[in-house]
Amino acid sequence: MKREFKLPDVGEGVAEGEIRKWLVKEGEHVREFQPLAEIMTDKVNVEMTSPFTGKILKLRAEEGRVIKVGEVIMEVDVEEESTAPMEIKHDSSPRQPEAAKAASHPQHATESIRATPAVRKRARELGIDISTVKSGDSSGRITAEDVEAAAKSVHAGTPAPAPPHVSGPHDGVERIPVQGIRRRIFERMAESKRNIPHFSYVDEVDMTSIVHARDILTRKYGDSVKVTFLPFIIKAAAEALKEFPYLNASYDEKTNEILLKKRYNIGVAVATDAGLIVPNIKDADVKSIEQLAREVEELASKARAGNLSLPEVQGGTFTITNVGPIGGLLSSPVINYPESAILATHRIQQRPVVRNGQIIIRDMMYFTVACDHRIVDGAVAARFGNKLMEYLEHPFLMKLEF
Amino acid sequence: METKLRMDAALFQVMDNEGNFDKELEPEIPKDRLIRMYRVMQTVRMFENIAMGLQRQGRIGFYIGAGGQEACSVGSTAALKDSDWIFPAYREPGALLLRGETVLQLFHQLFGNENDYNKGRQMPNHFNSRDKNIATPSSPIATQIPHAVGMAIAAKMRKTGDIALTYFGDGATSENDFHSGMNFAGIFDAPVIMFCQNNGYAISLPTRRQTRAETLAQKAIAYGIPGERVDGNDILAVYSVTRKAVERARKGGGPTMIEAITYRIGPHSSSDDPTKYRDKSEVDEWMKKEPIRRMRGYLIKKGIWNDDKEKELLEEIDAEIRSAVKVAEGIAKPPIETIFENVYEEMPWHLKEQMEETVSRYGKNYRGG
Repeated sequence: MKREFKLPDVGEGVAEGEIRKWLVKEGEHVREFQPLAEIMTDKVNVEMTSPFTGKILKLRAEEGRVIKVGEVIMEVDVEEESTAPMEIKHDSSPRQPEAAKAASHPQHATESIRATPAVRKRARELGIDISTVKSGDSSGRITAEDVEAAAKSVHAGTPAPAPPHVSGPHDGVERIPVQGIRRRIFERMAESKRNIPHFSYVDEVDMTSIVHARDILTRKYGDSVKVTFLPFIIKAAAEALKEFPYLNASYDEKTNEILLKKRYNIGVAVATDAGLIVPNIKDADVKSIEQLAREVEELASKARAGNLSLPEVQGGTFTITNVGPIGGLLSSPVINYPESAILATHRIQQRPVVRNGQIIIRDMMYFTVACDHRIVDGAVAARFGNKLMEYLEHPFLMKLEF
Repeated sequence: METKLRMDAALFQVMDNEGNFDKELEPEIPKDRLIRMYRVMQTVRMFENIAMGLQRQGRIGFYIGAGGQEACSVGSTAALKDSDWIFPAYREPGALLLRGETVLQLFHQLFGNENDYNKGRQMPNHFNSRDKNIATPSSPIATQIPHAVGMAIAAKMRKTGDIALTYFGDGATSENDFHSGMNFAGIFDAPVIMFCQNNGYAISLPTRRQTRAETLAQKAIAYGIPGERVDGNDILAVYSVTRKAVERARKGGGPTMIEAITYRIGPHSSSDDPTKYRDKSEVDEWMKKEPIRRMRGYLIKKGIWNDDKEKELLEEIDAEIRSAVKVAEGIAKPPIETIFENVYEEMPWHLKEQMEETVSRYGKNYRGG
């Protein structure tokens, strides 16, 4: 019976090892615990012994190669059923409950399949039984491409596949595989919070002028385009960013440089059923309110339908997340990595405020500017906030086209 | 007046590196017992080779070897009664085997299977045996020393006539528990033996960085306890020195500290690479004083051992170990519920809740996938 020997973690937390020297040859007979190879890791140098008794069919790694833990290093035709790690016979073991079976990785029929652990994992993520995947080349090895292709043909013509439901009767928990957009959100959010030291700056702005302007434009455009507050906020942000370039920037880790962006591609966070998506409006600074309104509408509906093109989600320089339509007083947004700042705007509410010793009612809105504190100093963020307020409170100061 | 910082640092020895022995110092040990002791030493060494292989192959999680230090545990345990208490560190499988524990039981422990006394809830290589009065080792260094002292005081109060012996390494002598234990033992005349296996390194830290004192045994003086130094690779010397301490303790003479000078041949554990801090020349030098070779030399010179017997013995042990691996690896893991059991007589509510949650997730009697 053919058995594979995968490089185990030979120390504690060892990820890879280099085969320094094979002590056996292909075709040779080995006995369990006979020395196989000298393996060097960054922690320990070890003499690896054989877990099987039998004839060596193939040494899968040449000397000098670095092997990841879990990669197959040797194939053996096992002559006697030695007690090997993957196929332990539990004589006294009770039948495994269905729930536990489903939750553990499918092991059936994967013994003779040649695929790396990463490929097997990808197959599980896509809900593909790896034993059904055909290899694209003569070696019989199943690659990531083979798995992706199999997934495509399985899911072709069907709308977004439902995540494989793998919970069992004992669970009390529904298990949702993290994939697709949610996977991307996972990575990007974690990357942002892990790498960027965030700080938030909060103020409130009097939106009364914008409320009036919007009313007027809504009457002007009628049903042809829906004008929300967002185009005004985008415009004000783009104008303010011109005076505060460090908020329209990113950090290049490789060169250790701050990149100041000369375009103002303003991202707009859109909540969709699949999760958060941030398409961006290119060169928002030179577009009219009407154009911005149309683009916001278009990008949002494309995002909800899952029809955004790659350029529409790439190349953003700054992001606005408008929480207002849903509610809430304040929020502390997470920066859209690798940008340097994000603006969160909230509900516009009529509130009593004091002007010139008099209590009057105005349309007020809280906003938060969250910044990468490595790039943006607190004072800069505060001045940016002031500039933003100035433009929103006195829109005529902006270069506005309607 | 001259300040005294030294005690006699001479090592007690009975035999040389070839097994030539001093007839006047030779302890009286029956022939069968000597051969049994030798068999256990060989078993510990061969067990280690296989167990380290299992760890490298990914079949067990961790291993700590005793190779090169077999004379310490086997020689000292041989000087005890079977009812005496042992509080081990982690290089004393020899103590268990000499008291009759099986190789198979040790593999049950390494695989953490259902037949393991601790049901897989201890780290691999933390061998114990309730039947044999050998306590479970705890990984934190030196914590077993006060336990041994407490057990010895209890035995004294109960007048059982039993004593306690605890093993620890050179590094442990820098721990608070060592000092507390020594002090209590001295004050209460505890019938306890503090057996320090000084193998020269606390993982990678050499003894000269462990203490400014010339010897570890001299630390005993400060607690009013006799301190002995012995060649830890000379099993006869270890036996004799321990025997003397046992007699003292049984007669109400109180504790003794023994510093046995020894050397571990392999790494500290499966997570260690000794070539990073020890020269090969140093290892080669110690291999000349290696305890199994010396014991074999002694047995041959006594006329009770030969090459045929040696070959037969090694084959027997090899077969025993290989078959034990096969059996132990094939036995099921304990059910998941056992994680929560045996700490409290009655399971408290928070553990009950955790157990219910775990069972609802994995199912009853789950034993790993």
